[in-house]
Order: sequence, then structure tokens, then C-alpha cells
Amino acid sequence: MIAVRPALIATFTWGLVTGVAMVKSGLTESAAVWMTLFVYAGSAQLTSLPLIASGAPLWLIFAAGLIVNLRFLIFSAALQPYFQSLPWYKRLTYGYFTTDMSFVLFMPRFGDADIKGTAAQRSFFLATIVPGWFTWQTSSLLGIALGSLVPTAWSLDYAAVLALMAITIPLANSRPMLVSMLAAGVTAWISQGLPLRLGLLAAVVVGIVSGIWAETALKKKR
Amino acid sequence: MEQALADHWYLYGAIGLLTICTLLTRASYHLFGHRVPLSEGVRRALRYAPAAALTAIIVPILLPWSAPDSMATVIDQRLFAALVAIWLFQKTRNVLVMIVGGMVAFWLLRALIGWW
Repeated sequence: MIAVRPALIATFTWGLVTGVAMVKSGLTESAAVWMTLFVYAGSAQLTSLPLIASGAPLWLIFAAGLIVNLRFLIFSAALQPYFQSLPWYKRLTYGYFTTDMSFVLFMPRFGDADIKGTAAQRSFFLATIVPGWFTWQTSSLLGIALGSLVPTAWSLDYAAVLALMAITIPLANSRPMLVSMLAAGVTAWISQGLPLRLGLLAAVVVGIVSGIWAETALKKKR
Repeated sequence: MEQALADHWYLYGAIGLLTICTLLTRASYHLFGHRVPLSEGVRRALRYAPAAALTAIIVPILLPWSAPDSMATVIDQRLFAALVAIWLFQKTRNVLVMIVGGMVAFWLLRALIGWW
């Protein structure tokens, strides 16, 4: 529980900002409530807001949500050995409630465990996802309530952009990653006139290709 | 814009699809993972995708063109407040400081620009 506390403060802040951002980008309150209860993915919610507000096609919103959530595919691949002995509906539940926070707390503790999938490991995992879920939902709903009280003239939707930046900046932790993000940013700027926000997909492709290119080029230099 | 938000089918369609995104990315490996091991190449590509997508969402918001057919960029308080926010984040590593500071910078700059 003690290990979880600082992470819960971060979760609370996030939920609050996301809740406010949903209402301030023009979502109705009930849509925002459904979104927070079902989607349960802060970065995907924040990412989809500008797309929804500009009326982007649904398939693009789906694609963007998938791309931003891709890290969870890697997380669940790493977590899979701990849960593989369980019946499918339990694996589905553990998977659905996995957060960045639970992964970051779980892996340093049990990453090198000799036996993977003990009951103690699973209860630790539960202890990270249950308080996380309640904290997120409480703060998110609070944000939705506050967001509808605050006047639009305060431009609180800009807080959503800042929140997205707070997720993005720590990702720039290596040179190939920086190259990838720069390339994606330039592509996104140049291609913003394209219809259906196709620039977003172009930017992701350019970003991946230049990231891998930079990784290989830097390795050769050494 | 207003029309899209008033359209319930659109809005709830987006929410439904995003819920599927959450399930697909977080749980599919738990369900079917033992059959599809992730290759090293795929893992490498996956590392760059989220950062590229997030950057690609943010850049056009901070640096929008004045019109879709001209590449003249609007430079206003959004960009400068974002730079202040990045600086604050590098200094403090605190998300709350960054968001509050960025908002205050945004309001101050907007007031200044309006007053000019």
C-alpha cells in the first residue's frame, strides 16, 4: 500500500485534468462519464479529444487510440507469464485493469522472480490496480463536475494539451527517440492540411521509420 | 465541429471504439499471447509509435496553419505558454507545476496580447 501512495497522487491529478478536459472540449457530461468509466485510458482519452472535437472519422479515432495504447501490448506481453494459469475471464479482467502505474510498480519487484504466477504476486498486482481504479474514477468524475462549473473563457481545454505534453516529454529519453519525435512533429506540421487528419498516420509511420533508422545509424557509429 | 458533438451516434461510437482499443491492447496478449510471440523487430517499432502519435497530435494544436491551403503558421500564446510549461517540467519534474504554470502563462500572455 505504501508503495502505491505516490503513484495514486499522480493518478488523481491526471484523472482531474482528464475529467475537466473532456467537458471543456465539448463532450456532454454523460458522454464524459461513460468515457471515463469504459475507456479507462487517460492518454487515449486526451488524444481522442481534439480528434472528436474536429469531427475526425471514427476509424482514425480508433487507430489513434490503438497507437497511443500500444505500450500496453508490450506490458501485457511481459505480464502474461504471471497470469497464464488463470481462466480466460480472469486474464481478461487483470488485463483490462492494467495501468502504467501497476506495471511500473510490479516489474521491479517481481521481474526476476524464479516462479512466475504465485498467489502473492497476483495479490500485489491487485493491490496496485484496485486503488488505482477508484482514485482515477473519483478524480475523473470530480473533474467532469468541476469542468462544467468553470467558464469556457478560462480555456481549460488548453490544460489537456499541457497534460498530453506531460506524457510525451518523458518519452524523449534517448537520441533515436528524439529523432523519431522530431520527424513525427515536422511531418505532422507539414501534413496538417491533409483531409481526415491523415497527417497523423503519416507522422506515426515517419516517426517509427526514422526512429529505427537513427537507432541503427547510432549503433554503427560506435 | 458543433455538429459532430451533437451527434450521439458519433460520440458514443468513438467511446465504444476506444473501449475496444483498451481491451485489445491490454488484454489480447493475456488471452492469446502464448500463440503469438512478439519478435524483436516488432517490439522496436512499437516503442516509437506512441511517442510519434502523441507528438503528431500536439504539434498541429500548438502551430496551426492560418488556413488549410497556406503554410503560414499562427504563432500565439499557445506556443509560448507550452515552452514555459516544458521549461517548468524540466526544472521541477512535477506534472502539477507544469500544468498550473502553463495555464497561468497562457492566461497572462493572452491578456498581454489582447491589451497590446
